[in-house]
Amino acid sequence: MFNKIAAVLKRELKERVMAKAFIFSTLLVPVLMFGMIGIQAFLYSFEGDDKTAIEIVSETDNMTQRIEEEFQNSNLVKEENFAIIYRTQSKESFSDYIKSEGKADILDDKLNGIFYIPNTALSDKKIEFYSKTPKNFSLTEKLNKHINKILVDEYFASKELSDEELKFARSGVDFTGYKVSLDEEIEEEGFGNLVLSYAFSFLLYISLLMMGSLTMQSVIEEKQNRIVEVLLSSISAKELMTGKILGAATTGLIQMAIWLSPVVLLVSTTIFVLPPEFVLSITATQIIYLLVNFFIGLLLFVGLFATVGSIYENAQDAQSGLWPVMMLIIIPFFISLAFIRNPTNPIGEIGSFVPFASVIIMPVKITIIDTPLWEPILALVLNLAALFLIFPLAGKIYRIGILRTGKKPKLSEIVKWLKLSS
Amino acid sequence: MNALEVKNLVKYFDKVKAVDDVSFDVPEGSIFGLIGRNGAGKTTTIRMMMNIYTPDNGEVILRGDKVDGSFKNKVGYLPEERGLYKKMKVLDTLMFFAELKGKSGRDIEKKAKKYLEQFDLKDRMLSKVEDLSKGNQQKIQFIATILHDPEFIILDEPFSGLDPINTNLLKEIILEKKKEGKVIIFSTHLMDFAEKMCDHIAMIDKGKIILDGSLSQAKKKFAQKNVSLNYEGDISFLNSLPFIESINDFGNNTQIQLKDASYSQDLLKALVEKNVTVKQFNANDISLHEIFVQLAGKLEGEVLTAEVPNVQ
Repeated sequence: MFNKIAAVLKRELKERVMAKAFIFSTLLVPVLMFGMIGIQAFLYSFEGDDKTAIEIVSETDNMTQRIEEEFQNSNLVKEENFAIIYRTQSKESFSDYIKSEGKADILDDKLNGIFYIPNTALSDKKIEFYSKTPKNFSLTEKLNKHINKILVDEYFASKELSDEELKFARSGVDFTGYKVSLDEEIEEEGFGNLVLSYAFSFLLYISLLMMGSLTMQSVIEEKQNRIVEVLLSSISAKELMTGKILGAATTGLIQMAIWLSPVVLLVSTTIFVLPPEFVLSITATQIIYLLVNFFIGLLLFVGLFATVGSIYENAQDAQSGLWPVMMLIIIPFFISLAFIRNPTNPIGEIGSFVPFASVIIMPVKITIIDTPLWEPILALVLNLAALFLIFPLAGKIYRIGILRTGKKPKLSEIVKWLKLSS
Repeated sequence: MNALEVKNLVKYFDKVKAVDDVSFDVPEGSIFGLIGRNGAGKTTTIRMMMNIYTPDNGEVILRGDKVDGSFKNKVGYLPEERGLYKKMKVLDTLMFFAELKGKSGRDIEKKAKKYLEQFDLKDRMLSKVEDLSKGNQQKIQFIATILHDPEFIILDEPFSGLDPINTNLLKEIILEKKKEGKVIIFSTHLMDFAEKMCDHIAMIDKGKIILDGSLSQAKKKFAQKNVSLNYEGDISFLNSLPFIESINDFGNNTQIQLKDASYSQDLLKALVEKNVTVKQFNANDISLHEIFVQLAGKLEGEVLTAEVPNVQ
């Protein structure tokens, strides 16, 4: 029996790993992943190319002068192409102005925005902002620091404070993260693990989808090309399914091991020195766990994809049966992203134990928060239990499905298959 | 001695009884034909014999023991719906199918190459299957069926979709394997073909066996009551004769079935008396097709011989 499974496994591996698609995807997925991050950064930086024209109006000449001094020396004007007009105007005449000329300038795109700093701002820091897009946070964020500085300076000027005290008052809060763990020392934590967990959940997500759909295609191919009955004259449906799933899972594992090898190199050797904020705190045990978890995840998901493939006769029909399986991958992926942003997220906490979902969420959990060992082990055990529970059922559907031809079966028919003896 | 005994197989699909209490014996060294119309239950029966379907009832006995998984290694099976991995190379394909039968290594590779040479495909050994013509793909399929030297060869509608060259090739393979003492079982709806090749048959209709045993005995049994007639004149008066069971006009010749074999002389006498010119009168001949029609009747509009020209 094992020889036959091995024969199928060997063929699947040979077919997949030797394929151009494997080499391409192994190289391209990381490139794509970092490329996407790069593109995002590029798009964010893109806004500075155009000239930003704004008008800052304040109620007193003194304030206007201070603002002009501050902004003309700032990076905004020096480097970022800001064109700023400074004016003084009383509240009443400003309210006339904004209804006439100001309004026209904004609507004609001569001005991106008009800021009005009333004297009352010195006590409540409230500033008016007129624009076509007043929710343009990137603009207000840039001005915030400078205007705040002036207001603070002005406010404290009469209060006889030292420069040092002023500097303190001006500065914002700077958070430095310390990771509290069972280790003796409390370490200052960098971004390394954050990047790693983003990267890993992305790879996991891509890989599950990729290996899953490849397996589904191959099941459909065997059905469509009528190879399956020839195969079944030599091996049982169970052996065939097992061989195919193991083949796909092994392929996925090889690919993931290739992807993770740079991480292993970074952690285990001192050849590459990372800047301190990107130091990875991941242990060999964790990497082994990641791979074991991934392999079990592949078995689970690839098994589901294979089952879906066996039900339908062509890829188009199979798409319609695929969405429940896709949801099982996509929802946990989004939960894991939310979890990375906020590690106290209760849905993430629960999801890290739910079979199927935990395959994707638990690895993120262990890289960003210190998790007691029993948690990932429990998640693994639950996933294995799910595997043994679901497989006899999936096998039944597969066995009947692969020999079935004709029109797309309804859900009720598939349920009926489950009730059949074999 | 029977190589295989099929006993009381039953298979339901939903509420339809596709195979209904089917039993037959396949003797050692025979070419066995499972004969019936499309949809009669042939493929389902064969799939149960191959353990691809689990029967709802009944069993298959292989030389005295119930068949198990190891039977699959002893069988070369060519299903009606057959195919190969398109992207796989020819030699790899053959080696893979042999490995599934538990055979691998140098010897089997040598043998695969020998077969490829025999079938004029040696130079295509490293080609992908999809680059071969359909006929050549069928040849690869034949080799894959017999490469592991099976004791049993089971062929489900083997001649459907074959070109004349491959039909003859497959015939040769079957006869060669018979000489080697292998058991060959095939299903077909082509009566003429079964008649030429089989020594034992089982006829199946609507899921039930309607006739089984040796072909020559079946023919003898049915032929006695059958007269094949070639004539000129009017024979409509025969319908009123009491000893006539039925008359089937096939154009060139007419098949007359008597109520008893002993009436053949009475029939001849009646024809002569009524001035019918008898050109040919054969009182001991019947085709498998006629036997089938007698037992199962003609299905609406179905002419069983119509597909014969395709197979030569």
